[in-house]
Amino acid sequence: MKKISYSILSAIILLNLLLVSSLFIINSYAAAEEIDAEFGDPPKIDGDIDDSVNEWKNANKIHINLTDLPIDLWVMQDDSELFISVQVDLEFSAHNSTEFIALLISNSSSENQEDFIDAKIVQFSDIQTNKFVYLDYEINNSLFLNDTYSHGEGAGKLDGKVSVYEFSIPIKQPLADGYEEDAFLEYEKSYALNITYGKTPSYPDGIIKSEIVLIYIFEPSVPEPLYFDVILIVLVLVVFSIVGVLSGYYIYKIFKLKEKMERLRS
Amino acid sequence: MSKIPKVQIKEQKLKTKRRSEDKFAYRTVVISTVLSLIFFVVSLLFNTAIFSFFANINLIFDILDISIKVVSILLFFLFMMISLGNYKEMTGKPLDWKEVLLLFILSLGQALLNYIVFFFTFIGLLLILIYLYLVQES
Repeated sequence: MKKISYSILSAIILLNLLLVSSLFIINSYAAAEEIDAEFGDPPKIDGDIDDSVNEWKNANKIHINLTDLPIDLWVMQDDSELFISVQVDLEFSAHNSTEFIALLISNSSSENQEDFIDAKIVQFSDIQTNKFVYLDYEINNSLFLNDTYSHGEGAGKLDGKVSVYEFSIPIKQPLADGYEEDAFLEYEKSYALNITYGKTPSYPDGIIKSEIVLIYIFEPSVPEPLYFDVILIVLVLVVFSIVGVLSGYYIYKIFKLKEKMERLRS
Repeated sequence: MSKIPKVQIKEQKLKTKRRSEDKFAYRTVVISTVLSLIFFVVSLLFNTAIFSFFANINLIFDILDISIKVVSILLFFLFMMISLGNYKEMTGKPLDWKEVLLLFILSLGQALLNYIVFFFTFIGLLLILIYLYLVQES
C-alpha cells in the first residue's frame, strides 16, 4: 500500500514538473536553415541572370521549399549590399499574372513574427509582359506600410517557365533618409528572412507560401598589406636614387675631365 | 725650303690628331651620358608607375607599356656603357668588370616591380653584354 502511494506521489511530481517546465519553452518556429552570403561581383538587378558575364557565379545556391513550392534561392553579398535571387520553376500556365515574391526581413536572427519589420517586394502587374514594381514596406504589427524612401532594388522576369526575382538590400546603411523604416543589416550577424510567395498584390493577405531562412552576412576582409610588394617598391626607389646620385657624381667627373684636358692642352 | 724640321711637323700633326680624337671621345662621353640620362628619366617615369597611361587598358597597351619599360632600361644601360667606356679610355684606365656588374645590377633593379619587364630586361642586358664583349678590340 505504501509502495503504491509512493508511486502515485512520484508520478504526480513528475507530471507536475513536466507541466511547469513546458511554461519555460518559448513558442517558436523550428530552427531555420542558415545560409552564408558568399562574396561576389554585384549582379545587375534586372531579373535576368546573364551567364555570359558570370553573374551570380559566386552565390550560395540552395534549393528550398516555400511550404510545398520548390524554389532556387541564391544568396550573395559585396561590401555594401546583400543580393538575393529567387527562382520559381512552374509550368507556364501555373504562373499567376500578378504573382510576387516578398522578402520579409527580421531585425535579428529572431524568427518571431513581430521581429519581421521590413519587406522588399517584387510585384508583377502582368507577368506575361514582364511588368513589375519594386516595393519597400515597413511592417508594423502585421501592417504593411509603404516606406517614405524606397531602399534597395528589385526586379523580376519570366524566363520560359521560370520566374526570376532579383533583390539587392543595403548592408550597414546610414541612419538617415528613412533608413529607420528598414531592417538594419550589419556584418558578422545572422538575419531571419521570410521568403514569401503570393498571387495577389495584397500584403500580408496575398501571401500563400513562405519559408524562413537565416542569412549570415560576412564582414569584408581587409586586404593584408603585401610586405613583399612594399619591399620591392622600396628597393626600386633605392635603385633609382643610387643611379641618380651616381649619375650626378659621374657628370661632375666629366666636367673635371674637361678641365683637366684644357689644362693639358695649354 | 721650310725651316721647321720634318719631325716637328709630324709631332704637331700627331698632337692635333690626338687632340681631335680626345675631343671626339669627350663629345661621345657627353652625348652618351645625356642620352642615358634621358632614358633613365623615361625608365623612372614608367617603371615606378608615375606615368601609367597604357597600363590595364587592353593587351596592346599592356605590350606597349612593357616595351617602353624594357627598352628605356636597355638603352640607359647601352649608352651608359658607351659613355663609361669612353670616359675610362680617356683617363687611360680599362673598364672594370665590377663597374659593369654594378651598372648591370642598377639597370636590372629598375625592373623589379614587374616580373615580365624584369625577365625581358635581364635577357636584353645579357644580349647587350655579349654584343659589347664580341665587338670590343682584343
